[in-house]
Amino acid sequence: MAEARRGPTAALTVALACRDLSVGYGARTVLEGVSLEIAAGQWTAVVGPNGSGKSTLLRTLAGLRKPNGGRIELLGRPLSAWPRRERARNLAWLAQASAATELTAGEVVALGRFAHSGWLAHRKADDDAAMHRAMLATGSLSWAERRLSTLSGGERQRVHLARVLAVEAGVLLLDEPTTHLDPPHQEDVARLLREQAHRCGVSVVSAIHDLSLALTADRLVVLGDRGVIGHGTVREALAGDWLSAAFRTRVDIVEHDGVHLWRPALAAPPRA
Amino acid sequence: MSTLRPALIGTGTGTATSAAASRRLGVWLVCCLGATLLFTAGGLLIGTSSIETSWQWLLAPDAQSSVVLWQIRLPRTVGAWFAGALLGLAGAIAQGVFRNPLAEPYLLGTASGAALGVTICLMLVDASIGGLAWFDKLGITGAACIGACAATLLTITLARGVLQTASLLLSGIVTAFLLSAVTSLLLLTKPEVWREMQTFLLGSTAFIGWSSATLLGAVFFLCVVPATLLSRGLDALSLGEETAQSLGLSLPWLRLTLLGVVALATSTSVGQVGIVGFVGLVAPHLVRETLSVNHRQLLIAAPLCGGALLQAADLISRSIIRPAELPVGAVTACVGGSYLVFLLWRRSRDG
Repeated sequence: MAEARRGPTAALTVALACRDLSVGYGARTVLEGVSLEIAAGQWTAVVGPNGSGKSTLLRTLAGLRKPNGGRIELLGRPLSAWPRRERARNLAWLAQASAATELTAGEVVALGRFAHSGWLAHRKADDDAAMHRAMLATGSLSWAERRLSTLSGGERQRVHLARVLAVEAGVLLLDEPTTHLDPPHQEDVARLLREQAHRCGVSVVSAIHDLSLALTADRLVVLGDRGVIGHGTVREALAGDWLSAAFRTRVDIVEHDGVHLWRPALAAPPRA
Repeated sequence: MSTLRPALIGTGTGTATSAAASRRLGVWLVCCLGATLLFTAGGLLIGTSSIETSWQWLLAPDAQSSVVLWQIRLPRTVGAWFAGALLGLAGAIAQGVFRNPLAEPYLLGTASGAALGVTICLMLVDASIGGLAWFDKLGITGAACIGACAATLLTITLARGVLQTASLLLSGIVTAFLLSAVTSLLLLTKPEVWREMQTFLLGSTAFIGWSSATLLGAVFFLCVVPATLLSRGLDALSLGEETAQSLGLSLPWLRLTLLGVVALATSTSVGQVGIVGFVGLVAPHLVRETLSVNHRQLLIAAPLCGGALLQAADLISRSIIRPAELPVGAVTACVGGSYLVFLLWRRSRDG
């Protein structure tokens, strides 16, 4: 969208970009003509109604799904030109549904270091340090020896988040990182993502269902039925009322002490 | 927070297993090895000829009892162990690759491929009057291997590669049916081959000599080394195929290599002992029921378990209706089948 590229944001360096991306499953086209520039060192939230292609977009950007057309560039280099391991060191992806395996949380997080340590898993000091930091940040350190199958859905999600952080990649693509989490922990994750972006310079892209949570991000990519509705800062998104366009219904966002909140129509005070 | 040390997750050789868990694994492995030793001793004692042979050898070793013990019974029990170990290993890999606890070594159509190979071989031997001795000896094993490998290739071709789990499973079933049908048709034209085929189809450890045992052992080490080296890939696969890919793994390469190992292990064991069911399915299950393991541990424990299982089945098969023998495949089917039923029953009871 043209309006998304206007303004001061155009000056930001770009971590991940796609041009004219179209993706489909068989005959069904999910995304068509999508062009995005994911700003480096910012937290971008992808929002949109169910079936608008949030997961598909993230998968395609992660190189897990071949697009039918278009180009993707990671750090200025075509995604397909990256050697597999090197790409995995620079770009990490979190699946929407987290698997429950018989591995321990520590083993799962250690797999995040695969692109660094390789098949024989000879972990070096920096591997251990990265794992430790990631597990500490997600509050999953105390479960290091627990089997993933014995953890709750939310705990499992935090372990998988730790695995993604342990990669120490410059670009994170997270598909619903806050699912299964209770609200305080959702906030913890949101804070963590912002910290990663602002303090560590990581470019974070996350699909997020909860609108109020998504509005705490730096930038928004709003997907509708037919591709991108808009792409820019939260303020630009609110000014253009992209959310209402995406969900095809009035989406009421209120500002309270500088925080943007989604107000369900149900909660609105009855009109006199 | 002072108790949370990096060492907590950074101990040892790369897997974070608590001391208690590794102790359990250790106990388990020792039990397996103990059982193996016990069964090997049993395998030396019990045979179609009387138990007295063993005592006779102990008291006054003569040529005949020596031959029975060292040339017949020992290679048989050692070979049975390796064949079981190969099946246990193949089963553990297959379950990891397909991310399905019901996967088993024969699911790529190897068993029916091997059966077809043996049928063709037996018919050819039958046709060449007198039969070339080397062809007869090498033929059955080789034909089983070739048949099994060809069946695996056919399955992978039908599935158009190794990436689609569901198509692989389906085309494995299709291959199995197709090749069984061809085997049956061939057997219809040559009923005299039928009896010989029967031994093969039911599985038997009776024909293992030192050459077979050596072959089984060599292939076992050939398979277990790359499998354990790639065990981290199986761990990654257990998180989901896409996640594994995002971690920097090459999924086609990993699956092709591991399925190659499965095909090699299965076809070798099928070539030497025929079609022995359930060991490959039950051994990894037995490990996972008693221990929580990652794949490196599983790929070591499951072969040990499978080896001991097949040795035990071999012992049962030759002691239960002495001096005659039951086909070992029938024994494993009965024991393994009832174990799976027990598992099912316990699962439904526990909810």
